[in-house]
Amino acid sequence: MEFELLSYMKNKGFVITSVLIMLLAGGLTFLPRVIDMSDILGIEAESMETEEVETKKAEGAGTDRAETENAAEGVKTEDAGDGEDVSSDMLRLGLVDEKGYLPDKQELEKFFEDAEFVYLDSEKELKEAVEQDKADAGFLVVDDISYRYYVMNKEMSDDNQMRFEQLLSEVHKQRYCEANGIDYESFVAQYEAPVQCEETVLGKDASNNFWYCYVLVIGIFMLIVLYGVTIATSITTEKSNRSMEVLITSINAEYLLFGKVFAGVVAVIVQVSLILGAALAGYAVNRSYWGGVLDPLLDIPGEVLAAFAVFGVGGFVFYAFLYGAMGALVSKTEDMSKVTGPLQMVIMLVYVGSLLQLENPDGVMMKIFSYLPVSSYSAMFVRIGMGKVEMWEVLLSGGILLVSIFAAGWLAAKIYRMGTLRYGNPVKLSRALKELKM
Amino acid sequence: MKLEVKNITKSFGDKEVLKGISFSAEGGKALGLLGRNGAGKTTTIRILMDVFHGDGGEILLDGKPFEPRKVQIGYLPEERGLYPKREILEQMVYLARLRGLSKSQAEKNARKWLDRLQVDADGKKLLETLSKGNQQKVQLASTLVCNPDMVILDEPFSGLDPVNSQILQEVVKELIAEGKIVLFSSHQMSYVEEFCQEIVIINHGEIVLQGNLEAVKREFGENQLVVGGVGLSGEDMERLIKEQFAEMVEITGRDREDVIVRLLPGITRTELFRRLGNVQGLEVEHFETYKPSLNDIFVAKVGEER
Repeated sequence: MEFELLSYMKNKGFVITSVLIMLLAGGLTFLPRVIDMSDILGIEAESMETEEVETKKAEGAGTDRAETENAAEGVKTEDAGDGEDVSSDMLRLGLVDEKGYLPDKQELEKFFEDAEFVYLDSEKELKEAVEQDKADAGFLVVDDISYRYYVMNKEMSDDNQMRFEQLLSEVHKQRYCEANGIDYESFVAQYEAPVQCEETVLGKDASNNFWYCYVLVIGIFMLIVLYGVTIATSITTEKSNRSMEVLITSINAEYLLFGKVFAGVVAVIVQVSLILGAALAGYAVNRSYWGGVLDPLLDIPGEVLAAFAVFGVGGFVFYAFLYGAMGALVSKTEDMSKVTGPLQMVIMLVYVGSLLQLENPDGVMMKIFSYLPVSSYSAMFVRIGMGKVEMWEVLLSGGILLVSIFAAGWLAAKIYRMGTLRYGNPVKLSRALKELKM
Repeated sequence: MKLEVKNITKSFGDKEVLKGISFSAEGGKALGLLGRNGAGKTTTIRILMDVFHGDGGEILLDGKPFEPRKVQIGYLPEERGLYPKREILEQMVYLARLRGLSKSQAEKNARKWLDRLQVDADGKKLLETLSKGNQQKVQLASTLVCNPDMVILDEPFSGLDPVNSQILQEVVKELIAEGKIVLFSSHQMSYVEEFCQEIVIINHGEIVLQGNLEAVKREFGENQLVVGGVGLSGEDMERLIKEQFAEMVEITGRDREDVIVRLLPGITRTELFRRLGNVQGLEVEHFETYKPSLNDIFVAKVGEER
């Protein structure tokens, strides 16, 4: 195992990638300390600063409230300054409102802070303005509930219509109130009265757990595929460089295969621990700067992490053995895809199935998936994270996985031993299994 | 130490590749397993090394069932290779440790053999950076790194350049002198002849000749003579013998301008020599005992396809 492990540790690509991702994951968590990310994070710079100060207070660094407010104001002022600087990037919107449904320009700009309106007289003028790039887009108001939108090339991020519809809807409500003698202000107050709610989640909050389950499902999928292929390749390489015969006459084939698989497991655990550890530790230190925005991603409960570790490692070992066996069926690395294809397909199906059912963790499919050794590595920890699951179910699934790992190890060692001297064309799995029976 | 192979058989599908192979090898002697390509040498060795099992027969070491992974064996397989992208010392230590040596002992042995074979002594280079000749030396050093009691070399000379062949011969002679069992297969007779005491010739899965090399040569050359005349070509000499000596000798071969003959029962060398002296116009140039080379014996035994 030491020799195999060294092959990972001496692999510059592996080391550099691991360290870079680790630094990146850890480093990214410090980002809000360095740059203002309030826009991206969707939180107020004020609240960020306040939270920072609160944290400092908690740490014993006394700061009075006045200073906090000053600091917050300072940030606000700066923000406003920045806003003026970007006036050259303002949208130019053409507008034809023949019957005068819309309010004055000032009101319009409440809905379109980043736009200036150019009033035009006819549809034809509007079209020409858009075509000749005098306006980025244009609206023609038909009445207070219908309009026409003109744009040359529509961008993915174009939200002009959405904002215009909000505006028109306001206009419509106002006109309705006026026509029926209703006080618009009180109407709006009732119509949009905020609903108060105090939420207490007594079990699990799937909406909170969704994102890290999502990321972990993708993560374990990537690890299995990446490392599985590495293990299979290392076995095939020993066949192609002809060192296999010396190896299997020196020691039992089982030890060789187990050495490779466990070296892969150790490498994965080290790599994942470093990367995940850096991200979690970095976030723990910088959580206040993020305003808790990454909580759904990085504030992972211990039980889910434990389930991820147990089922993740278990599933990884299970697949690593199978990949090892596949590697022994071919003698050239170019042929690898021919034998690993079916295995990749199973992994892909489990991956897609788990992701599709992520919002339905207590569904039949997830329940079945959580017991099958090919899928419990992702399904069971999703159920633990987001669904209802009894301890006996976890133990049963873990037991099935454990037995399956031994079975996969035994089978892989047999195929590995049998495939030792099979050079030339890849051996079909069905044939290999048939020969094992003999 | 004595290794005994008894009546080993093996079939692949319908094809019977070993039809009862038996031989024994002792410490301090080298045994050469000879045969044409496909004769069954490598299959015999692989069964010996438990790469796969024989269908029948048994293998004993000092009278007990032989378990190759429990004895220190230096095995150089026919399909050989190492890790091109790993350091020399690292992979030699790995191979020695697979054979149960401690890390320090493995390192010590690896350095000893690298030094003995004059390859990169610190072993820090990647294998692929060495010349092909030096890679062959590393392969040999890796075979011997576990300080084996028994050395099994399958076609050790194939692919070796003359200098490395010479080194291998020297090493094999040293191993024999140290009392180790040395067993190897080859179809390059000249190397075998150099240091082999015992030979086993296999053809089509059967042993066609075995025994002490000197005894085999003696037996094979018994009652055979090399005869040649001054100014006569091989063809002339052969014709003359066929015409005038058919009742005394049979022709068994040619050695350039000379003819190899076997005395028929009851005929002595002196009688033949006198008769040759009486032939008009024949001046005898060669009249000597025929000493066959291993190559001659090999060709005579397995040269003709059945």
